[in-house]
Amino acid sequence: MSRTNIIALLIFGAILGYFLTFGPDMTQKFKSGVYQLLSPFLTSGSGLKKQITSVRTGLKSLEQLERENAALEVENRELRATNNGLRDVEHEVNRLRHALNYRERSVFKLIAAEIVARDSSTWWRTVTINRGKRDGVEIDMPVVTAEGLVGKITTVSNNISVVLLVSDENCRVAASVEGSREQGIVSGERVTTGLSPLLDLNFLTKQADLKPGQKVYTSGVGGVFPSGLLIGVVKTFRVRELDGQAQLTPAVDLSHLEDVFVVTGRR
Amino acid sequence: MIFFFLLLILVLAAQIAELFIPALPWLYNAHVYIVPVIVFYGAMALPFPLMLALALYAGVLLDALTVQVIGGKVEISTGSSILLYGVLAGIMHGLRPLFARGRWEVHCILSGIFTSLIVLAQYLMITFRRGSFVFNREIWWQIGGPGLIAMAVAPILFWLLQWMGRMTAYPYGPERGRFE
Repeated sequence: MSRTNIIALLIFGAILGYFLTFGPDMTQKFKSGVYQLLSPFLTSGSGLKKQITSVRTGLKSLEQLERENAALEVENRELRATNNGLRDVEHEVNRLRHALNYRERSVFKLIAAEIVARDSSTWWRTVTINRGKRDGVEIDMPVVTAEGLVGKITTVSNNISVVLLVSDENCRVAASVEGSREQGIVSGERVTTGLSPLLDLNFLTKQADLKPGQKVYTSGVGGVFPSGLLIGVVKTFRVRELDGQAQLTPAVDLSHLEDVFVVTGRR
Repeated sequence: MIFFFLLLILVLAAQIAELFIPALPWLYNAHVYIVPVIVFYGAMALPFPLMLALALYAGVLLDALTVQVIGGKVEISTGSSILLYGVLAGIMHGLRPLFARGRWEVHCILSGIFTSLIVLAQYLMITFRRGSFVFNREIWWQIGGPGLIAMAVAPILFWLLQWMGRMTAYPYGPERGRFE
């Protein structure tokens, strides 16, 4: 091995050793710094992705129209395309109006945020939002939509933040079940098989006997999540050796999230 | 040197692009990883010190963008991706003579295997930290899927990178016989 290679290897080893000594705080700062540097790319990448998706959707609807209306004249097709465009705008307006209504009637102080990227890795369920320290976002703040709980903030930089979704195995939420005294801990599953993940509600009593359709809310125990946020609906219940466990369908469709709110406190 | 900097830019672009590529539901939600393929090409085409620099850079990016700190705990230590990339790229670098003779297929297959090895290593680390050992069909696909995808895209990416190397008059490409 040449001298240059040995020196390169030593430098590599030294830098590697430096990174390996990072504790949680240093790692958090390091992540925030890198996200800060990359935030312009992430936000512009999100815009680009939306444009590509909208072009793809447009092409798809045109193909369908051509199949179904082969006999129609060119002018007719143009009108239909325009209509489609307007429908997209209407959908957007409705979505934003829905979000705005929720913010106005909510008992929490909320910061509206848009999702710019999702699931950066195989083993964690996360999304990246376009709000950060500058907007008052802090680590461990809950993230919600009008439908219910989404997750909590794990990394914050100036302009963007990372949200750990409630469907992640590591996102544990103290929960209570509607119409019973049952309390437990909700967490996600390590692996999701389909598009829609399921949640586990653990540490229930064996006598809980939950019925499908019962709603599960945050209990407020633990301090991170305020009480009364809908987490999901009971799908199945089973008795294990030591406790009862329910499987929940999340209240929020986590695979199609577009806009969320960060809870900064109560009004 | 221009080629090396081009690879750095490509790794950054690919790492950001990966954030916008959704998981594949028809492959048990397996993710698409492009960065390892670029890094492993770099490992074959670059001299040893630059190969290490590329592995370091890719490892830092991977650690920064994927590893989560939850409740004051880090499941995968910062630096572990650097180590993984360093070791795997080192193995790939050792196979440079094959690459010099224009034999790409071995490296395409290895790129896929090594990509899966990175995902597997991450999974073993989080399994160790979480304390429960789960290996089912979905997990195997989430580990193997990215490797299969990397294997499939490797020939195209290698060809593109090879072309870029020629465009930048990079002297260490295959079929030139200039390896030490």
